[in-house]
Amino acid sequence: MEVDRELVEAAQAGDRWALEELVRRTHRSVYTCALRLVGNPDDAADVTQDVYLRVVRKLGGFRHEASFSTWLNRVTTNVAMSTLKRRTRRFAVEGAAVPPDTRDPAPEPAERAEAIALARRLERLVAGLPEGQRQVLVLRDIYGQSTEEVANAMGLTPGAVKVRLFRARERLKAELEATEGGQVVTLAGRRRATGRHS
Amino acid sequence: MTNCHSIRPLLPARADELTLFEVRTRAEHVADCARCATEAAAYSRLGQALAVMASLEVDPADGTLERILVAIGRRRAGVTNPRVLAAAGSAGALVATVVVARAVRSRRRSRHRPSPWPRRLRLPNLPVPTPALARAK
Repeated sequence: MEVDRELVEAAQAGDRWALEELVRRTHRSVYTCALRLVGNPDDAADVTQDVYLRVVRKLGGFRHEASFSTWLNRVTTNVAMSTLKRRTRRFAVEGAAVPPDTRDPAPEPAERAEAIALARRLERLVAGLPEGQRQVLVLRDIYGQSTEEVANAMGLTPGAVKVRLFRARERLKAELEATEGGQVVTLAGRRRATGRHS
Repeated sequence: MTNCHSIRPLLPARADELTLFEVRTRAEHVADCARCATEAAAYSRLGQALAVMASLEVDPADGTLERILVAIGRRRAGVTNPRVLAAAGSAGALVATVVVARAVRSRRRSRHRPSPWPRRLRLPNLPVPTPALARAK
């Protein structure tokens, strides 16, 4: 999700069309991040709406020090974490929503296409991780936040984040190998040989 | 060479999550151990696939976008709607103009109309009161 600086500046200046265009271009990405964090489509839709209400309030203070997408990701993380803290009910691991099929980005080279195919399968496995492990993995490994940023967002120590990350990655790799019946490293070659498509 | 058991916790970690010593130890072990090299490669591939997930998007339910646009429209209407701001600005400017015009007009009138009061009050020459103590002397 890359957004033109001009569009952001126009929205900051009060251009209503620019703000709506900003929402149109980014809402899928915000919704996807929210869904991965909260694990439930209804809550993810609420989080997405709250994110943009906060964006309207805070956009004037955005100084372009980071990219808009990075800033938007942080807002999404904060809103999602606040929602989770407020939420009284807890979703059991078995009850975690299976995300619908992801949309492909623009056509990519073959190597990236392999990674995309693997990523689509991973989406379901990530959704099935325990909530605490899923959140640190999503923020750190998918959205590239630093260990310290993840710790701040989740109210954990960096050490606790590393422990959860270790468990999440180990579990994810094991489940991936179990579902595919082999090593992660051999997935690409095996799929090519058998002609399977996800 | 370090044994596999002690290296195992380091295999899923990204390089920036480890100390330089841990990175070097892992690299040296993986170079000599085929089993751990396979594990490390699997984690590396997993990391790449997870990073790719950031660019994959899920479509929200129908109507989500419209709901967001309505919500932010309502919020903006109360705070920063340009039309509301323009109308409020015009009304404020009109009120300010009327107030200033009336003030100028009343000032002009007061200049031309002779005042019933003298410009400076002149007090008659009255004897200065003497304190009682001085009088007693």
